[in-house]
Amino acid sequence: MTSTFLPDRRSGPDVELPPPSAAFARGRARRRLLNWLTAVGFQVPALVLFIGLVLLPMLFALYAAFFRWGGFGMPSDYTGTDNFTRLFKDPVFLGDLWRCLVLVVLSLALQLPFALAMAVALNQRLRGRAVYRMLFFAPYVLSEAITGVLFSMVFAPDDGLADHVLGGIGLDGLGGEWFADPSYVMATLFLVMTWKYFGFHMMLYLAGLQSIPAELTEAALIDGANAWQRFRNVTLPLLAPTLRISVFLSVIGSIQLFDLVWVVTQGGPDHHSETMAVTMFQYGFKRYQVGYASAISVVMFGICLVFALAYQRFVLRRDLEGATTTMRGDGK
Amino acid sequence: MGDRALSRRGFLAASAAAGMGVTALSACGGDSDGGSSDGTTTVEWWNISTTEPAKTVWAGLAKKFEAQNPKVKLKIVQLENDAYKSKMTALTASGKLPDIFHTWGGGVLKQQVDAGLVEDVTDRTKPWVDGLLSVAKAPYILDDRTYAIPFDIGMVGFWYNKALFKQAGVSTPPTTWSGFLDAVKKLRAKGITPLALAGKEKWPGMYYWAYLAMRTAGLDALQKASDDKDFTGAGFVEAGQHLKELVQLHPFQKGFLGAAYSTPTGQAASVGNGKAAMELMGQWAPAVEADAGKGLGKNLGFFPFPAVEGGKGVITEVFGGGGGHALRKGAPQAAVDFLKFFASETTDIQLVKKTGVLPVVPAAESAITDPNTKAVQAQLKGATGFQLFLDQAYAPAVGQEVNDSVAALIAGSKSPEQVTQSITKTAKEEQ
Amino acid sequence: MTRKTKDVRTLPLHVALVAVGALMVVPLVYAALSGFKSTDELSRNAFGLPEHWLTGNYTDILGSGDFWRLLGNSTLIAVATTVLVVAVSALAAFSFARFAFRGRELMFTFFTMGLMFPFAVAALPLFLLLRYLDLLDNPLGVILPQAAYGLPMTIIILRGFFRQIPGELEEAATLDGCSPFGFFWRVLLPMARPALGTVSVLAVVTSWNNFFLPLLVFTDNTWWTLPIGVQQFQGQYSAEYARVFAYLVLAMVPALAFYSVAERQLVGGLTAGATKG
Repeated sequence: MTSTFLPDRRSGPDVELPPPSAAFARGRARRRLLNWLTAVGFQVPALVLFIGLVLLPMLFALYAAFFRWGGFGMPSDYTGTDNFTRLFKDPVFLGDLWRCLVLVVLSLALQLPFALAMAVALNQRLRGRAVYRMLFFAPYVLSEAITGVLFSMVFAPDDGLADHVLGGIGLDGLGGEWFADPSYVMATLFLVMTWKYFGFHMMLYLAGLQSIPAELTEAALIDGANAWQRFRNVTLPLLAPTLRISVFLSVIGSIQLFDLVWVVTQGGPDHHSETMAVTMFQYGFKRYQVGYASAISVVMFGICLVFALAYQRFVLRRDLEGATTTMRGDGK
Repeated sequence: MGDRALSRRGFLAASAAAGMGVTALSACGGDSDGGSSDGTTTVEWWNISTTEPAKTVWAGLAKKFEAQNPKVKLKIVQLENDAYKSKMTALTASGKLPDIFHTWGGGVLKQQVDAGLVEDVTDRTKPWVDGLLSVAKAPYILDDRTYAIPFDIGMVGFWYNKALFKQAGVSTPPTTWSGFLDAVKKLRAKGITPLALAGKEKWPGMYYWAYLAMRTAGLDALQKASDDKDFTGAGFVEAGQHLKELVQLHPFQKGFLGAAYSTPTGQAASVGNGKAAMELMGQWAPAVEADAGKGLGKNLGFFPFPAVEGGKGVITEVFGGGGGHALRKGAPQAAVDFLKFFASETTDIQLVKKTGVLPVVPAAESAITDPNTKAVQAQLKGATGFQLFLDQAYAPAVGQEVNDSVAALIAGSKSPEQVTQSITKTAKEEQ
Repeated sequence: MTRKTKDVRTLPLHVALVAVGALMVVPLVYAALSGFKSTDELSRNAFGLPEHWLTGNYTDILGSGDFWRLLGNSTLIAVATTVLVVAVSALAAFSFARFAFRGRELMFTFFTMGLMFPFAVAALPLFLLLRYLDLLDNPLGVILPQAAYGLPMTIIILRGFFRQIPGELEEAATLDGCSPFGFFWRVLLPMARPALGTVSVLAVVTSWNNFFLPLLVFTDNTWWTLPIGVQQFQGQYSAEYARVFAYLVLAMVPALAFYSVAERQLVGGLTAGATKG
């Protein structure tokens, strides 16, 4: 895809182009260099911030993963890959990996479609639309701290709001120990997660929906398409780029999940709701085994990276190819 | 058209304002660094007394100290418990601790001492430190050198609801383990929840195992296990078995695995609202019960952890801990003076009277009015042995492993043997 | 289509929305109500109306100078972070979306790596770095890292939106003699209002609730932000939960207010007739 700012891609009245010659070839190379410089130039501020404040600490943590380090002074006790072997033998960590997968699948299957449905519903002219949007987004604004205390009270066994409500509508048997029950804690946690985060995705979709020109859906309406057909054939394809971003962020977010779990269950009961990030925090900040914690973060990073690369290759590639028609490959 | 222009203008205005605001204010931010100007020394004092009444009382004491020492200015930095711990971790990593800082003694203090960050105050405090209660000083003495001075001491015991006990037919608090299990069964028979436990936080559960280990294996064995990094002795396995016995009676409140300690639906609130009959907790229990729940007032009683028949420990051995202040290496003399001030009899009387803590200066016990506090104080005074909270006494990793393993035992996923094995494994790794 | 049929058709929709809305709102109402109770009432009468409406919790907080200072700090830091991250990200995202250059996808993956690393582990080295740069007790010590960590998400979202701007516009701009930056500033940005609004809201909310970084950076309480303030209601063994609820509800209000304002901008962007040029 060549930027349109190269002078040799002008359209309109005929412009006399110099004949192909060595000078022209040099000029072209220079223009490509200029193109590259401009492109990178736009990136400089981001690069400076990113490399300085994100990459450097990350590299340090990567380095620390190969040591046994308590956080005092500099890492000095080199242990090679010991931390990693210990990690993959730890039943708690292996459980973390499984729970991570469960969360990712649940989020993609339930949370995202729900957010999409709400976004579509709230994109129309509807009475009280602004109020609904604010209400649905409000949980995201709430800090994890209050969410934690709030829901531990909502889901308190017998006394909690959840049990009260269930009792009130006659579904007594459904209530259980919620967070205290090792078998159901993940399900309860997922409910809280959805409550808190679906507003984020809804917002993304709303912005995406609003970028879709109204004429297209109107045209489909005139052609006699019903609501579902309009959605499937017009809205969904045009919303696809946004959906792809949302899925990407959701998966990465699920892998990194920490704040909410920590405040609500601290990974309990008996590690049944622990995520990799919670384990990492335990070892890093409570047990002062920072090297081991760094190893966990390296593994988390690795998983995210593999996912991101695969996602870019197979999913986002479609965005690259047919995005807009005037974009052509280099030198064409 | 108007919209676009407005939004961009708004954007530019906002960024300009923010930019100016930040540069202007950052210019006046952060300049003091404990340096002295015109002879005044500024001493930083970091503590965790963020709630009343301690907050106001301590501020008042700081003013009093400044009045007595005109050339000294005390700068107080107050953080809540967990935030404090996180911040201290970061500071320790960076190698510079505050002048005076709160410490719980034991393993973490040891790590800080080993890193060369803490001042050894043995010699400078010798003249007056002997007057303090010996159990109070214990957590802060490492290798016979003193690294911090206590201001608070306490112990863990059973806090119980007298009315509920009477209702179940338990006439006097049990003094033996079998008597205790009996009492639990009687309470359950009457439909009363015998014990409240904050399963989520893990440390309340650890109290049971620690006391049982003290009572079965004995204090010396516990100390030896810590030194040798080996907890696999028979006494420790027995302790776990006793705990398992208790757990199998289902004595805890519904949903205890997810309960926190001080939240409105937690352990303290359960007892404070009369829903559970007992909790094994430290000397702060009455205050928290009244905070989180209604509080039991005169109905609240205290009895020490029972003795285990055939065990090596005795009922007068005490498990607990408190708070103290340590100094960073190279802290000014004013900081040492502050330690003396805070541990003086007058100060301690103030603390006991107004904040309800237990005295570290024996003479200050006259200021205690609350009967439950008196009962705890009596136990402390008559203590024949002392063990600091395990998750503070040991290196942090080991302490956490104890909490985790015992929680697993209570949840039913680890056996008593496995508990001792994991703790030993972690202790050995930590060398 | 008569008015009646339209209303009837949207009725099930309304019911569904109200149901979901109720689920969303009940915990919030609960939090607000709890602020009016005393802490021990929270355990006895958790879900009913307060026995006595204790306005003390709310008024104490609003009356203390501390709260307003914390509020101001949080606002300043949030605004500065947002402006910085959105500006820097927009430039980078523009480059990713509209230019072809060697190593583009590689660099994009490079930025997305920032999302994949848990902040807590980077916290300790970051703290040491900030200390070295003498940025502790300085708002920039929070603003710069927050912006840096916000870059990946913001760039990802903005790139997606920038790509959707039709190429004809770009060609037209070139014909008019527009430089790349000119196109960026005068055409692309105004058209990407929904996206810019979205990422701004996300940046503000993330900054608003960020607790760990300000805790590490600020020792002096001059610059403390709201989330740190709430910690001060909690002690070693117990917490004044009613005050915590009151505080957190009050702390939430500005962020929500910002969202409702920004939201209107999103709608405004639509009606400005983006594609009609």
